[in-house]
Order: sequence, then structure tokens, then C-alpha cells
Amino acid sequence: MYKSIALFLGLSVLFISCDKSVDEPVTDAYVPASLDLNAGSWKTYVLTSPNEFTVSEPKTASSAEYQAEIVALKTMMTSATIENQRAVKYWGAGATYRWNEIARELAANYNQPPASNAEGKYPVPDATKPLSDPRFPFANPPYVSRALAYLSVAQYDALVSAWSYKTKYNRKAPSKNDATLSPLLPVSDLPSYPSEDAVVAAASYTILAAMFPGEIPFLDAKLAEAKNARMWAGMNVQSDISAGEALGKAVAAKVMSKAKTDGMGAANNQALTAGMIENAKKLGVKTPWASQETPARPPMLPNFGAVATWNFDKVTMINIRPTVPYLEDTKEFQNDIAELNEINKNQTREQARIANYWADGPGSYTPPGHWHRTAANSAFDAKFSEVRIARTLALVGTALMDAGIACWDTKYYYYTPRPQQFGLKTSVGLPNFPSYTSGHSTFSSAAATVLGYIFPQKSSEFEAKAKEASNSRVYGLIHYRVDCEMGLVHGKKIGDYAIARGKADNSGL
Amino acid sequence: MKKISTIIVLLFISVFAQAQMPHDAIYMPKGTACLAVTYGNSSWNQYWENTLKRENLNIGTLTTQSVMPMIAAGITDKINVLVGVPYVSTKASAGNLMGQKGLQDLSLWLKYKFIQNEAGISLHAVGGVSTPVSDYVADFLPMSIGFKSKNAMGRLIGNYQHKSGFYLSAHGSYTFRSKIRVDRDAYLSNGKMYNTDEVALPNTTDAAFRLGYMKKAVQFEAFIERNACVEGDNIRRNDMPFPTNNMRMTMVGAYAKFQPKNIGLNARVNYVTNGLNVGQSMGYSVGLLYQINNIKF
Repeated sequence: MYKSIALFLGLSVLFISCDKSVDEPVTDAYVPASLDLNAGSWKTYVLTSPNEFTVSEPKTASSAEYQAEIVALKTMMTSATIENQRAVKYWGAGATYRWNEIARELAANYNQPPASNAEGKYPVPDATKPLSDPRFPFANPPYVSRALAYLSVAQYDALVSAWSYKTKYNRKAPSKNDATLSPLLPVSDLPSYPSEDAVVAAASYTILAAMFPGEIPFLDAKLAEAKNARMWAGMNVQSDISAGEALGKAVAAKVMSKAKTDGMGAANNQALTAGMIENAKKLGVKTPWASQETPARPPMLPNFGAVATWNFDKVTMINIRPTVPYLEDTKEFQNDIAELNEINKNQTREQARIANYWADGPGSYTPPGHWHRTAANSAFDAKFSEVRIARTLALVGTALMDAGIACWDTKYYYYTPRPQQFGLKTSVGLPNFPSYTSGHSTFSSAAATVLGYIFPQKSSEFEAKAKEASNSRVYGLIHYRVDCEMGLVHGKKIGDYAIARGKADNSGL
Repeated sequence: MKKISTIIVLLFISVFAQAQMPHDAIYMPKGTACLAVTYGNSSWNQYWENTLKRENLNIGTLTTQSVMPMIAAGITDKINVLVGVPYVSTKASAGNLMGQKGLQDLSLWLKYKFIQNEAGISLHAVGGVSTPVSDYVADFLPMSIGFKSKNAMGRLIGNYQHKSGFYLSAHGSYTFRSKIRVDRDAYLSNGKMYNTDEVALPNTTDAAFRLGYMKKAVQFEAFIERNACVEGDNIRRNDMPFPTNNMRMTMVGAYAKFQPKNIGLNARVNYVTNGLNVGQSMGYSVGLLYQINNIKF
């Protein structure tokens, strides 16, 4: 008896490590599989041409100015602290990769619906007071799809432009000009002027400062660190960085000016909902959607469907809108409800796991963030060049934003009730907007379709993930089967438009 | 372990009765055991979101119920072993969050009286471990039935027993909590995004002070307890709790036991007076006790 107790105690203590650090994926720097030296002629999204903004010719490697920059670079390298070197390693994973990750973290931090106030109203976040309660923005799935799309487009356009100047001026990396330099990261043959890391940093900073205006001090610090890390690492001289920063800022400013006129300002027009409900009733929807929160919360961005799309026009959007769902009195609807009732009674642990894994609810980076992460990781694993990672994220990101817009258009066109309006519970939390079609299904299918084109060897894996994400909403009891199946079909069509764009962007990919 | 379960079934002969718990100074004499089955009910309709005390109309009243069989056995007069595992269920009176239920964590404690003097002063060391016994969801708070960590606890109890039957008792404990795995593979904690399914839970401390009376078949006491994580983040504005939260609370309560023979009853009420990232719960429990004697180890 004593022995068995001692053994139990001993074993249990073994299980309990005092180490509270959690294991996150390791991201080591790499030399890209291809430098994509033709990327300077790839088709941009917002820039009229890769050379719309001028980058002046750099001093030659033999010039006194450049030699002085090399001396300054060496000084900076020798004075780099352990913490600086940690920053080098962090940013060594890649600028686009890290800024996408930072954007997802910001999205998660701001993904919280406002609390109701004493009058039972939900104050609308105010962009001019981003840190008061409620904070601005409420980074819900449409908001995040849009923020990440503009981020990725700005990164991509800025990098295409940077590549055009890199190949035009062809100034080599500092360590290729001075053999005594020992950079801390792997060096490729990619010309280093202007710095791709500075281009991405400045472009990302500009977009994220506009999308998350309360985070400017945080972003200032990230921007400074991103630029300095390239010099602590001995990868870029100051003029590489300065030219890159100027280009990135200019490109992103143009991208943001497009964002400001894309219709987002009217996306929360609550005055439209009465007409939407009338329309839904005409279409045969007996019980229109109603907020299940107490007090009732106005629905999320009812006019997001009017925001400008990337890869197809508004006529096409209406043409591919999913058809009317099963109406309440039909046998098909009753079958869908019966499936949910069964799960409500006997949800399996595996169903709960799938529902939880894909929940991506408040406090998360949302489904668009989830798929950006998948895209970024896939591009990283494939050792893509900086510009090809950005292309991947721009294609996936625009498809995700298009999916958000088209799905929201569908949701508010049909204005269908959630299963909770028929007495079901949920194991993941109930989104506050109409049911049909499932946003998760549409987002996931669109992203998986595009990813399958970029990584054909993994296409069935992405498709399976999209299917699981779609199922997760039935398992979590917040969507009918038809919402999910039709969302998958819709998302596939949306993804195909992004693929068509990708096939015609001069990349030859 | 197997031995204990067979003992429960085999030996139901009694002469002397005394229930005990991991925080008191009561011991089952060598060769005796006490089986307790306790029903617990605790509920709150207000909670502390960080320091903000609030209600939540989409939860209403959150009620947690549990049934816990527990056995305490005297290995010697000074060393007792206690084992228990609760079945827990939760439900919310409003909103649409699904209630959770299931077997929670198996706990095992060893209690050792290492000092006892003529004046009635005694000191006790308690070591405890616990481990989840079902695959419940730990991060669907506040509906989850537990945190799912493996825990190891160390506790020191000081007790003064007066001849009249009055006693004073105080304890302090530290609990190590293991990392857990959740179904999601990314979560936010303290503003940082963790791209992993591994979640580090803060360790916890607890302390209590008790004043009571115990003589023959009766015992009653009043207590104040403090439970606090040693670190952790706070619930974000209008968000749900997360296992990494720095949960803290002060609780006052009363306990009574009546066990004239081998069968007895106990009851406990408690109320949270202040807290951080926890519900202001009011709880009660009632237990049925059964004393078992003449156990052969």
C-alpha cells in the first residue's frame, strides 16, 4: 500500500513540469527555393504599374558613400545585444510572414463585441477613440478579412515594385560586396536595394496603423525593430532600408486610399435591415433572423455585402449568390433541424473537438485569420521568396475578403433564422447575424480552393480542412447542414475567381 | 489503489465514526475508513470581469452541481489517505450556451500528523495530486467542468484543540498546475497570440482560517478561505474567461457534521465575498458519511 501510494505520487509529480513555457512552431530563416527575379513584372492590384513610385538609383558598391555605409553596418552589428540578435532571429522568418502574424495577433486582440451599456444599447466603436470602451475596431470576421486583404495587397504590390527596382539596379547584398562581413542570416543572390524587409515593414505599418489606430505605439516599435534587425544581422545597409521604407509607405498609402472608398464606411448601416427583412419575407422566410442576445444586439455589418470586391464585379456577385435555402415548412428543413437536435442531445467529443478547433470566435483571429495562417505557413514550408509569399497571401486574402462580402450579401438577402430560434443550444457561442450561408464554409472553401491551386500537392488536404471547418458549424449547432453545403459551393466559385487572377498575373505560376 | 476499492466493498463493520477532509486535523484511526458521498451546488449571477463586477444577461445564473464519492482511510493513526472523484455538471439559466457534464478529476491526498503535543497543538503536512479522468473541454468557460490540469499540492495545517471541544485551525497551500492541451491551436493570453494548443496554467495558492467546536458526534465551524492564482491574465472587456486567467477569491462559510455512529451527515455553505476573474458564487453541499472499521492493509 505505502509503495503504491509513493509510486502514484512520484509518477504524478513527474507529469507536472514546473516549466510554464509553451512550445510554439520553430521558424528558422531560409534561402528561398526560387528568387523569382521576374516578379518585377507581375501584375499589381492597386498600383497602375510596378514603377508608379520612383526609387532613385543607389550609389554603387564602390562608392565612398556605400563604403561608409558598410563601416556603419559593421559597427551596428558588433554593438548588437543578445536581445537585438533575438530580434534578428525572429524577423529572419520573413517580413511578410511576421507582419501577417502580427496582424492576426492584433485582430484577435480587437475581436470583442461591445458590451451593452446601462441603457441596454451597444455603443458603436469610434475610430477617433480607439482605446475607450468599446475599443475600435471590433475586429469581427468581415473586418479581419478586409484588414488582412489590404495588408496582403499592399505587401504584394510594394514587393512587386521593389523587385522591379532590385533587378533594375542590381546592387548586391552587403556581404557579397564585402567578404569580411558575416551576416547572421542566410544570404541569397537577390539584389538588396531596396530592402524587401523594409518595403514590407513600411507597407504593413501603414495599413495596420489605419486598421488598428490604437496600436500605433506598438506598431512604431515593431517597425523600428524590423528595420534595425536587418542591420543588426548585416543583411542591409541604411540606404537599402531607407529606400525600401519610402517605397513601402507610398504604395500602402495608395492602397489605403482605395480602402477608404470601398464602401466599408456604410457597412454598418442598420437602417437597411427593415427592408432586408421585408425582402426575406417575400422570398418565403417565415421566421426572419432575430438577435438571440439580451439585450438584442444589432446584426453585424448588415451592409458589408455592398463593399467593393477584388476578383469579380457586383453583377457576378449577384449571379453566383446561393439560391434560396430550405424554408421552414419543408421536409428538408425538418431534416436539418432533426440532425441538430440529435447533436444537441448527444454531441460526441469528436464533434465538440472539431467545433472548438474551428470556432475562431471572439478573442481569436477569426476564420480569415485562420486561413491566412495556413497560407503563410504553407508558403513558409515551401521556402517561397518574399514576393511569392506575398502573392500567396494576396490571392488568398482577396478571396477571403470577397468571400466575406459575398457571404454577407447572401446572409442579409435571405435573413434566415439561427437554429437557436428553434430552441437549440451551442457549444461554441452564437454569432449575431443571419444563418444562411455559413461564413466559415464560404471563407474556408474560398481559401482552400486558392491554396489548392498554389500548392497542388496539398489540395486534398486543404479541401478536407475546409470540409471540416464547414461541418464544425453543424457540430457546434449554429448552422443547418444546408447553410454549410451551400457555403462550400459558393466559396469554391469565389476562390476560382482569385485563381483566374493568379493565372493571369504574369508570374507564370 | 485497487486494494482500496476492494476494501470499500468488503468491510462494513463499525464502532466508531469520524469523517475527515484534506484540510482538517481529523484522522481516521488505523484500519478504519470513511466513505462520503457529497452533493454540491454552487451558483452565481454576478462575476468579476477583471475587477469589474457585472452580470451577464446571456448567462443569467450559472449553476454547477457535483456528486463526489470520497474515501478517507487510516493507514496509521497519524497517516491517512484520501481519494475522491466528482461528477460535475454545469448549466446557464439564460442564453444559449450548452451545459457541460462529466467525471472531472481524480484526487489523492496523503495527510500526516507530524507534531502533536499535550497542549492540543498539532501540525500536519498534506500532499495531494489530481489528474483528469475524462476528456472534458477545459476552455469553454464558464461552462467547463474543470481546468483539466494535473496538479500537485503541498499543504501545512496548524491546529489547536482545546479540551472544551473548541478548536482553531489554519492552513496554507501551494498547488502546481501542469500545462494543458485544448482543442484550438491558437489562443490569446495577456495580449499575446500563442500559436499552439498548449496552455500554461498559473499555479495557485490557498489559505484558510477556521474556528470550530468538535465533541463526540458533532462538529461545527466557521471559516474564511482565500484561493488565488500566483499570476495570470485578466478577462478582457466583455469576453469569456480563459484557463490562463488570474482567478482569485475570498470565501466565507460554515460547516457542520453529525455522525453519532457509523452513519453521519455533513453540510457546508459558502459565499464568495470578493474576487477577480471568478463568479460570486453561493454554494452549499451535503454529504452522507459511512464509517468502515477493521480494515487490513
